[in-house]
Amino acid sequence: MPKRGAAALQGEVLQGTLDLLILQTLALGTAHGHTIAHAIEHRSEEVLQVEHGSLYPALHRLEDRGWIASFWGTSENNRKARYYRLTPAGRKHLVAQTGRWEELVRAVNLVLGRAAGPAAE
Amino acid sequence: MSWRRFLRRRKWDEERARELEAYLQAETEENIARGLSAEEAHRLAHVKLGNTRRIREEIYEMNSIGWLETLWQDVHYGLRMLRKNPGFTIVAVLTLALGIGANTAIFSVVDALLLKPLRYTNSSALVIVWGRLPAHDLWRNVVSPPDFFDWQAQNRVFSGMAAFVDQPLNLTGAGEPEQVSVEQTSPNFFSVLGVKPILGRAFADDADQAGKSDVAVLSYGMWKSKFGGDADIVDKKIELNGKAETVIGVTGPDFDWYIKDFSFTHRRPQLWMPLVFPPAAHDRSKTGRYLRVVARLKPGVTLPQAQSQMSVVAAGLAAQHPDYDKGWDANVVSLRDQLSGALRPALLILLGAVGLVLLIACANLSSLLLARAAGRRREIAIRVALGAGRRRIARQLLTESILLGVIGGTLGAVAAMWATRALVHAGSTNLPDAGAIGIDWRVLAFAAGVTVLAGLAAGCLPSLISSHGAIATALPEGGRNSSAGRRGNAARSALVVMEIGMALVLLTGSALLTQSFYRLMAVNPGFRVAHLLTFRVALPDSKYATAISRGAFFNGLLGRIRQLPGVSEASADSAPPFGGVGSATGFVIVGEPPVPVSQQHGTDVRVVEPNYFRTMGIPLRSGRLFTEREFRAETHVVIVNQLLVNKYFHGANPLGQRLIIDMKDTNVPCEIVGVVGDVREDGLNENVQPVAYWPFPELPYSAMAIVVRTAGEPLALMPSIRAAVRDLDKDQPIAEVNSMEQLVAKSVADSRFTMVLLAAFAALALVLACIGIYGVMAYSVSQRTHEIGIRMALGAQQSDVLRLVLVQGTRLALAGVGIGIIAALALTRLMASLLYQVSATDPVTFGAVVLLLVAVALAACYIPARRAMRVDPMVALRYE
Repeated sequence: MPKRGAAALQGEVLQGTLDLLILQTLALGTAHGHTIAHAIEHRSEEVLQVEHGSLYPALHRLEDRGWIASFWGTSENNRKARYYRLTPAGRKHLVAQTGRWEELVRAVNLVLGRAAGPAAE
Repeated sequence: MSWRRFLRRRKWDEERARELEAYLQAETEENIARGLSAEEAHRLAHVKLGNTRRIREEIYEMNSIGWLETLWQDVHYGLRMLRKNPGFTIVAVLTLALGIGANTAIFSVVDALLLKPLRYTNSSALVIVWGRLPAHDLWRNVVSPPDFFDWQAQNRVFSGMAAFVDQPLNLTGAGEPEQVSVEQTSPNFFSVLGVKPILGRAFADDADQAGKSDVAVLSYGMWKSKFGGDADIVDKKIELNGKAETVIGVTGPDFDWYIKDFSFTHRRPQLWMPLVFPPAAHDRSKTGRYLRVVARLKPGVTLPQAQSQMSVVAAGLAAQHPDYDKGWDANVVSLRDQLSGALRPALLILLGAVGLVLLIACANLSSLLLARAAGRRREIAIRVALGAGRRRIARQLLTESILLGVIGGTLGAVAAMWATRALVHAGSTNLPDAGAIGIDWRVLAFAAGVTVLAGLAAGCLPSLISSHGAIATALPEGGRNSSAGRRGNAARSALVVMEIGMALVLLTGSALLTQSFYRLMAVNPGFRVAHLLTFRVALPDSKYATAISRGAFFNGLLGRIRQLPGVSEASADSAPPFGGVGSATGFVIVGEPPVPVSQQHGTDVRVVEPNYFRTMGIPLRSGRLFTEREFRAETHVVIVNQLLVNKYFHGANPLGQRLIIDMKDTNVPCEIVGVVGDVREDGLNENVQPVAYWPFPELPYSAMAIVVRTAGEPLALMPSIRAAVRDLDKDQPIAEVNSMEQLVAKSVADSRFTMVLLAAFAALALVLACIGIYGVMAYSVSQRTHEIGIRMALGAQQSDVLRLVLVQGTRLALAGVGIGIIAALALTRLMASLLYQVSATDPVTFGAVVLLLVAVALAACYIPARRAMRVDPMVALRYE
């Protein structure tokens, strides 16, 4: 169940961020749509609530760009499900995007007057 | 978004659906595991996912190409609408097919003659170099050999220059003796043109040396027809004028080389031989002008540059040899201009005219579409209510009209193929390179472009107006007087007014051209044209070397011909009227101070046999005709024409005066014994030239034209005449058999062709405008039925109603006429060069056309007016 006060991830503004999250999730292993959605929620301690409906177009877009690839496999409860995995190109993109994200966070923190980076936690 | 994905969207969608199903199951099971009921679990899973349909749509759309999708929908829908209204569709398609077809046909001719490069070589670098004598109004003239040699040596702008001259020779020893047109050229002729023979080779560089010049290259047509396409023709011998020549090559079928200006044979060359110059050719005092010159521009040299350099060279020669070349310049003409330049004005006018016809057709179609869109208001309003934007609706309507255009255009292109062939057939004698005219990729591209433009033009107004009106709701009933309806009516009226204006322009142009043509035909050529037969006989020098033998032949021939039944008169002339080019030279009047050749008076020279003037019907103005004695030996007499007297004697009596005409090596004064009427030698609208006539013995040519005045049909006599020639000399062929009427008709064939086509377009425009007026008036009457009913109920008579309708129609017609007159006054001056003795703003013609158009417009209103008169007020009042 969504935590109260948590922001929902939607809209093109954070579309790139959603891509980043999906790619990172897949970096840890293959998964199908349902798993990816829940994984993002769990790992972010329920702060990031993905609208599951916008997950699938995002997956389609990522596959179109060649950063992930899909195949049919069997899920945990023995059903046929569509699995996704990260491609080498996707891995490279993930590294680049992660670096850019960190730069963005550092820049915003500088403007806000906070110390940069997670080390300042 | 990749193409593979686009093409397999449906399969992807199914997979997607399964994937979403799998998600829902997984989520449901998870919810159940958390302790919810099955139903609750199911519902929450759906809530979590969102609208599956929307997700699938979103992904489906990511897979499609947006505009292609909507285009396909529009086209599909448009086709359905067109099929539902077959009457409308057929009318619209036919109108467009007519307009687009006509445009395509004319463009194919314009393209082949004015735009496309020649088939057989890179023609953009080729030019013809003429001599020019501006002081005597002579713009293109043949060149003398000494001038040619100097031009060759001194020019800096041509990579190659070749001279050519054609003459008739007798080909014997291969079937029937035949007079063929032989073009003698410099050895580098074929390389200057950039043409390679398909068999054998072209001339060697020394082919003009004595002993090496007895070679010939055949034309493809001659090779096929006379020698049966003999594959071993190379190195075989043929006999020309009694001499044996060796065939060394054959040109390709595309080699359609023929320069009409100053051709002495008036036929395409059938053979090429090397041009051998006698020693006298290098002496300006001993040779005349008879060469034509073709040259290839050096890479990077433009035509104006070549012209100015050649003018410098010519000026240099004029200064060096003032006796012969003073006042002479060079005139460099591009090959394309030489071949088609004369036709350019007429072709462009025809292209403009047929474009106007298409515009009128589009206006008609636009009007039709507007009327139909008014009837579809409900449908459009529903679409707006369902969420279609204004642009979407406009695009839909535009697609429909382009669709009509495409269907009409395809039909039109097919019709154009047939029409083009008919055009070529009708104009074949005068169209250069007629084989190149046809439907090719360029023409089809033009047709496609015109089709799309026509569809857009026809559809833009209706689509704009209809989609605009759709925003204001038209769902409620009684939308007849809505703003959209009024705007539509105004648009249709404006369209009709434009149509009438354009039709007026076309009708005026056509009327002017037709008048001009008939004035041309009414010109008196100076002799009697009907029942006159002409043909040419060229005697080979080898057999008829002396004046006596030639005289004997011609006298004998004429004697036999005069005996034939059906012949009233017969004679001979070295260059009859409408027979192409003759000789011209300079002369002095005895008693005047002597001047060099370049300063002398100019005159044409003709050599005639007894009875010539009587046979031709040329009147004698003063003095006498030649006597019998003067045809038996040189007696140094000459007859001149009226123009020569007017130009050079200034009213003094010329009889008894003597002229020294520079035609021979030694020139003796000749006494003027008579003056005859002027004859239009070159064409009905060409200027008359001064002419001096000599009796045959004075200058015994070996080639003469025979003219025969017949009682009946001239050409019917040919078999007996051929027999008479064969009796005298079985190896002597004759050529250029024509009736004089044919020759005169051929000389005006271009004008006639243009006139007929323009008249056809004008008639078409009139019919289309008529239909347009009828359509608008009929629609207006049906819209105003209610109003008419009220008027009648309030006491209006039938005549009042009639007047109502006619006044509306007249107002439209007059508005259109007004616009048309302004446009016509501006545009007809573009065709002034085609008009003969008719002013481009002739008020009588304008007035007549205006009257015609107004009368036709009123006639078109007649049926709708009658329908208005018959309106039953009771029915109309109840009619909503």
